[in-house]
Amino acid sequence: MPFPILLLFLAGALILQSTVLEFVTVMGVKPDLVMLVVILNGFLLGTRQGAFLGYAAGMVEDLFTGSYIGLNALSKMAAGYLAGAAGRRLYRENTLVATGVTFFSAFIGYIINYILLLFLHIEVLPFYAFLRVILPAAVYTCLLTPLFFSRIFRLVQFRDRDI
Amino acid sequence: MSWVTAKRLFFLIVLVAVTLSVMRLTVPETTRLTLLESSRFRDVLAPVQTGLTWLGRQSHFIVSFPAAMFRAAERNQTLEQEVTRLESQLTQLNEYIMENQRLAALLNYKQVMVRDYSFLTASVIARDPGNWFATVTLNRGNQDGIRENMTVLTPEGLVGRVVSVSAANCEVLLITDPRSGVGSLIQETRTPGIVEGAAGSSGMARMIHIPKNALLEEGQAVVTSGLGSVFPKGIPVGVLGSIRNEPTGLFQSAEIHPYANLNELEEVLIVTTVINGAQSPPGGG
Repeated sequence: MPFPILLLFLAGALILQSTVLEFVTVMGVKPDLVMLVVILNGFLLGTRQGAFLGYAAGMVEDLFTGSYIGLNALSKMAAGYLAGAAGRRLYRENTLVATGVTFFSAFIGYIINYILLLFLHIEVLPFYAFLRVILPAAVYTCLLTPLFFSRIFRLVQFRDRDI
Repeated sequence: MSWVTAKRLFFLIVLVAVTLSVMRLTVPETTRLTLLESSRFRDVLAPVQTGLTWLGRQSHFIVSFPAAMFRAAERNQTLEQEVTRLESQLTQLNEYIMENQRLAALLNYKQVMVRDYSFLTASVIARDPGNWFATVTLNRGNQDGIRENMTVLTPEGLVGRVVSVSAANCEVLLITDPRSGVGSLIQETRTPGIVEGAAGSSGMARMIHIPKNALLEEGQAVVTSGLGSVFPKGIPVGVLGSIRNEPTGLFQSAEIHPYANLNELEEVLIVTTVINGAQSPPGGG
């Protein structure tokens, strides 16, 4: 998929996230579609692609919200890179493996997000951060993996017959 | 370390350093609207967001309706018993309603509110896409006379304040956002404190810096103090939840359950003018 189209796709995910996904929140937490696309892309295409798309997608998200530009860019870059590193070592055609990688990468991505919030002097108590945001958001996001993985896998396969 | 690896590492360090600097430079109070956030872009996006929000509400209804019908027969029997019980309560409640109407007339509540504040109604058209922060976008902007730091509330209680405005829309920082701070006091004891957000998705806030010797009880009402704050005095914020001592040992803190249901906001009121209140100049928090 050409990169500009992928960015447009991510912008669409972002609009959905700020409108429709509000109605599927569980305990106030909504799934992170952008994070999911970044992780699955990194998992299937490798560390470099994962980090690059993560940074670009996170930057679009930051520009969309208009403040703390770079906050999501760095955390999603890390999540994309980790997913790429996991994709090198694990069996990439299994949805269950992809779900596990999504949870792990999203979890680490959110922790980096939390550390960056502290760097910006935004205090969120660890109790709320881990139990009300990081853990539920990582779980909710990874539970959506089976819905998206096969589609993204087919798109990537179509683009790159090697994997 | 090979030359290529060193070059990549150098590039990564520079990228991270630049991004961290930009992040520090783009805290909301010190920055202008970004290209994507600029009024024109936001106004173009607004109809799309309004449409999608409407679509989301309809889909939510359609999806939740069959779920509500599940086990309907079993519930029907329970409800019939409930109806009998409620009918007797209804008579009693009618008495309360009449009493309430008399009291409301006595207090002339509506006239008091109109005398003190001018309101503008607004609809929520979008929310922050992430889980950390709690902001909403409203369909009112500069052209409706909205300005930064205006107070936003519902009839139930305080919602937040306007933090950025474009021509047709504005962004509101909710009281549950960790960047929000509201000068408040406990209504009964007049004990002061600051209500700050816990985490966007939690729907909770915390009251901090409550003096150690203050007597606190769960369920006590918290209202805005109007001191050193952009918020008018006396707006209901929420009720106290669990209470704990702050690590410093000098203060106590307590969870706050906001009166307004901030996770399901649809329409809100923006206070455009405070006529007789004690609204401080913008800039506080």
